[in-house]
Amino acid sequence: MRLTLPALIAHGRYGRRMGLGPESRINMLRNILTGLVRHERIETTWARADEVRIYAEKLIGYAKKGDTDEKAMKMASFWLTEKDLVHKLFKVLVPRLGSEQHGYTRVFQIPNRDSLDRAKMAVLELRGNPFPPLVTRQPDSNGTLLNQLLCGYRQEVTRSRAAGGD
Amino acid sequence: MACRVVSRVLSCRFASSSSASRLSSVQLQRLRNDLFTREKARQQSLTPRIEKIEVKLVGKTHPGTLFVMNKGLSTPYSCARHLSEWHSKNSVLALVNGEVWDMHCLLTQSCEIQFLTFKDEDPAEVNKAYWRSCAMLMGQVLESSFKEEFSVELLQSPEVTVLSGAFCYDVVLDSHLDSWNPSKENLRALTRAVHSLLHQDLPFEPLEVQPKVALEMFQHNKCKQAQVEEKAAHSPQGTVRVYRCRDFVDLSDGPHIPRTGFCSQFEITAAHSLGPGPWGQVRRFQGLSLPRQLQAFHTIWERIRTRAERLVEVRAPSQAAVSTSVPAERSLPESQL
Repeated sequence: MRLTLPALIAHGRYGRRMGLGPESRINMLRNILTGLVRHERIETTWARADEVRIYAEKLIGYAKKGDTDEKAMKMASFWLTEKDLVHKLFKVLVPRLGSEQHGYTRVFQIPNRDSLDRAKMAVLELRGNPFPPLVTRQPDSNGTLLNQLLCGYRQEVTRSRAAGGD
Repeated sequence: MACRVVSRVLSCRFASSSSASRLSSVQLQRLRNDLFTREKARQQSLTPRIEKIEVKLVGKTHPGTLFVMNKGLSTPYSCARHLSEWHSKNSVLALVNGEVWDMHCLLTQSCEIQFLTFKDEDPAEVNKAYWRSCAMLMGQVLESSFKEEFSVELLQSPEVTVLSGAFCYDVVLDSHLDSWNPSKENLRALTRAVHSLLHQDLPFEPLEVQPKVALEMFQHNKCKQAQVEEKAAHSPQGTVRVYRCRDFVDLSDGPHIPRTGFCSQFEITAAHSLGPGPWGQVRRFQGLSLPRQLQAFHTIWERIRTRAERLVEVRAPSQAAVSTSVPAERSLPESQL
């Protein structure tokens, strides 16, 4: 293939280039996905986490069809290199994540890698994992100004409803 | 007609404070402002030498930090600036030895300090200070918005809880305006005047003065003079606290927020006529505001704004409720009083 400029520029193409080629990319992502299913929270480069996320969600989507489904089993056995994880996928992860339609994984950016490449790193985790949460969002206390105003508004609505009902 | 107006304006401009002719609000404002500046300069000259005091930070963020500040010159705001920009931009009040202080109040001795923000566990004091500051801004705009031929006498901003939904300022307008009711456009114009003050990010300067200085400041306002005497009687040192925002000076019960830039969404929602009182036809102007850190989505804002248009009744001192036939429930655990 000629080294033309359009071949080098993405021009809206989906999917990053990784490793030594497309096959190497799939193998690499497969290994990372196996690690994710085994450990449920892993640390990789941000680009790899972003790519694995797509395949992880698709895999769980397939696994939701059940282990009797031929296609689902084929996908699981291809993507999970360690075969004991196939059982974990169908019997543990699917019941846990089955109630949601999407968003089975979460990605958090972390400080860049210490080595010379200073790569942008991320933590990729499955929802409902047994570890303590990485990011906790503290909701505003009930005494803040906005919450107090809304409290008063709600009280008035219930009062007017009660008065209207009577 | 034009020469009559001109002569009236001229006579007002050159009238002395002791004459019988009414001073315009601009002149009264200037008078109070000059007295404030003079008193502030006098109080500053009482500390000629700079002495150092030690201020210790307690609380959640950076506990145990020691600041070496200047006595009579430093404020909790300067301590916050030593700490970080976040602290200086988000601290609303300071707890100095357990007492609630303004951020711009001068520190006079070694003490323990803690900063209060809008998002604390219990921001009751912060909310009260915010409501007071918003009421004062509304009063400032009301005093300066009417034409010179109409007199505006500010009575008081009643201590209203945040739960009632709006802050208020009671005002007595000129007798020619007894039948006038502000339209939506008028209220919008007043709101825009307040927004211009907010954009200027003016500081609220506190000053503790002797009652006679305060009486001199509010010599043309009998209601305020009565309040000065009442406050002086109740305060432990016998002094009265006044606050200045650009050139508007007003009495206040308690601390204010540091700067006007802390308010983001602000609207003067309604003006209700409370009927004739001892000072004249009293009008209650009401408004709603939210700080920069707690902005509301526009749909939510619309709902609480329509609620703020209803009259807020002040029943007993430091108790208020929105006017409905059913009294407000006070036993709910989430409500604060």
